[in-house]
Amino acid sequence: MPAIKKIAFTLVLFLLGILMILPFLWMISTSIKTPLEVFAFPVQWIPDKIVLEHHIKVWTEHRFYIFYWNSIKIALINMVGATFLSALAAYGFAKLRFRGRDTLFLLYLSCMMIPPQIIFVPKFIMFHWLGIYNTHWALILPGLFTIFGVFLLRQFFMTVPDEYVEAAQLEGAGHFRIFLRIMLPLAKPALATLAILDFSWNWNDYENALVFLISKDLYTVPLGLQNFILENSIDYNGMMAAASAGILPMLIIFLIGQKFIIQGVSSSGIKG
Amino acid sequence: MKRTWHRKQQLVGYLFIAPNLTGVLVFFILPALFSIVLVFTDWNFANRNSFNFIGLENFKRMFNDDAFRISVKNTLIFILSVPVMVFLAFLLAVALNNSVYLKKTLRAMYFMPYITSGVAVAFVWMVLFEPYQGPINSFLKSVGVENPPGWLASPATAMYSIDIIWIWLMVGYKMVIYLAALQEIPEELKEAARIDGANVFQVIRYVTIPLVSPTTLLLMITSFIGTIKHFGIIQALTEGGPGQATMVMAQLIYRAAFRYYEMGYAATISWVLFMAVLLITLLQWYTQKKWVYY
Repeated sequence: MPAIKKIAFTLVLFLLGILMILPFLWMISTSIKTPLEVFAFPVQWIPDKIVLEHHIKVWTEHRFYIFYWNSIKIALINMVGATFLSALAAYGFAKLRFRGRDTLFLLYLSCMMIPPQIIFVPKFIMFHWLGIYNTHWALILPGLFTIFGVFLLRQFFMTVPDEYVEAAQLEGAGHFRIFLRIMLPLAKPALATLAILDFSWNWNDYENALVFLISKDLYTVPLGLQNFILENSIDYNGMMAAASAGILPMLIIFLIGQKFIIQGVSSSGIKG
Repeated sequence: MKRTWHRKQQLVGYLFIAPNLTGVLVFFILPALFSIVLVFTDWNFANRNSFNFIGLENFKRMFNDDAFRISVKNTLIFILSVPVMVFLAFLLAVALNNSVYLKKTLRAMYFMPYITSGVAVAFVWMVLFEPYQGPINSFLKSVGVENPPGWLASPATAMYSIDIIWIWLMVGYKMVIYLAALQEIPEELKEAARIDGANVFQVIRYVTIPLVSPTTLLLMITSFIGTIKHFGIIQALTEGGPGQATMVMAQLIYRAAFRYYEMGYAATISWVLFMAVLLITLLQWYTQKKWVYY
C-alpha cells in the first residue's frame, strides 16, 4: 500500500482515536478548572489557571484514600489467591488423568453462562447466615474462585509438552513439585495475564460491592465514587477529579502491562 | 504397579482441583440450585416468616407485570448495541491491521475505555450528556441543531444513550480480538485474490470475513451474554430511570431483590434471563452453518 495512503489512513484513525479518548481528556481538563469554566463553550481544553483544589479535596475531605485502600486490599488478595488456585486446578485438568475430568470441566464451562443475577440473591441470604454480609469477606471469599481463570490457564498448560512432566516424574518428582518448580515458572506470562485481568475485574467491580456492602467505610472505589456523585451531583469539578482518581490505577497498570493484557485478551478470543 | 500409579494420579488430580472446585461449588453451583428453589416461593426477605411454596405464581405474576414487559423492551434495545459494536470493531481491526503506522498507539487508544473502570468513566459520560449545558449539546447547538436530545435525562433517548456509552466501552476490546484473528489469515490467500483481480472490498468480503467468521461467532455470543447480564452502568447512572426508561431485565432483578426484597420473584426473573441467554446462544450456535467457515 502506497505510503501516502497509509499516512492518510493513519491520520483518520488517529483523529477517531482522539475522539475515543476525548471523554478522558475532558475529564482531566474539567478536574483542574474552576466551576464557572466547566460548561464554557467552545471547550477550553487547557484552562488559564490550573486549579488543584478539587483533586486535593477528593483525597482529604472526601477521604478517597479509604476507598482506595479497601479496593487495593481486596483486589490484591483476590488476584494472588485466584491466580494460584486457578493454576492448581488448571494443571489438574490439563495434565492429570482422573475419572470425570472432562465432564467436570464441561460443568465448569457451562457455569460461565450463569448470569450473576441468579446467584446474587442466594449469596445475599447465605452471607447473612454466615455473618459476613457487609464485611469485606463477602467480596474476598467468592473472588478467590474464578472459572475463567481455570479455563485460561488450562489452555496454556495444554500447550506444554507432556514430556516435561514425564521426564520430571522419571527423576522421582511428585506432581506438586513438578507444578511448583516447572509448571509455574513456565507459565509466568499466562499467570501475569490472569493476574492483571483478575486485578482489573476486582478493581472495577461495582455490582458485588453494591449488593454486599452497606457501611461507607467499607466501600470500594467504584461504590465510593457513585456515592460521592449522589451527594455532590452539582460539583462537576469534584466529580471529574474523583473519576480521575478512580481510573488512574487501571490506566497505569494498562500502560505498564499492555503487552500481557492484550495478549491474554487475544488468545482467549481465538482459541475460544 | 501400574494400577496403584493410576490410582495415585487420580487422587492427586482430585487434590489439585479440589480448592477451586470447592469454591465454585459453594459460591456458584449451590447458590444457583438454591435460586431454583426460590423461584417457587414467595419469600420476602423483609418479612422472613412468609416462606411458602406457591408453585408457578411467580411466573403468572411476571407475565402480567408491566414492569417486566418494559424491562424486556429495554433489554432488546440494549442488545441492539451488540451487532453495532461487533461491526465497528471489525472495521477498526481491518483498518488497523494493514493500513497504518502507529499501530500500537492506536490500539491502546481504542482499548483504553475498556480497561478503565466502567463506573468512573460512565459518570464522565453523564456530565458530557448533560442536556442543558453539557459539551455534547453545546456542540450540537453550535452547528445548528436546535433541539438536541435530552440523552440520559429524557425517557425517549435514555436507553439509546446507554447503548452509545456501552458501545464506546466495548468496541476496543472486540477490536483487539479481531486484530488477533486477522493476524492468522495467511497473506497468500489475500495475494491470490488480488492476483485474480479482486479489489480491496472484494478481498474483505470474500476472503477476510469468511476467515474470521469463527471469531465473529464467538464475539457475537459472548457480547450478547455479557450485555444481557450487565446492569452496573445502568444502576450507577440512572438506576433504571428516568422512571423505568432504562430498566433492563438485569436491573429489574436488582430492584425486585434489593429494593422490595421479593426474593422469590427476583429469582424467577433471573432464571428467565438465563433462559433468554441460553436461547440466543443456542440460536447462534445452530445457525452458524450458514455463515461460519472453519
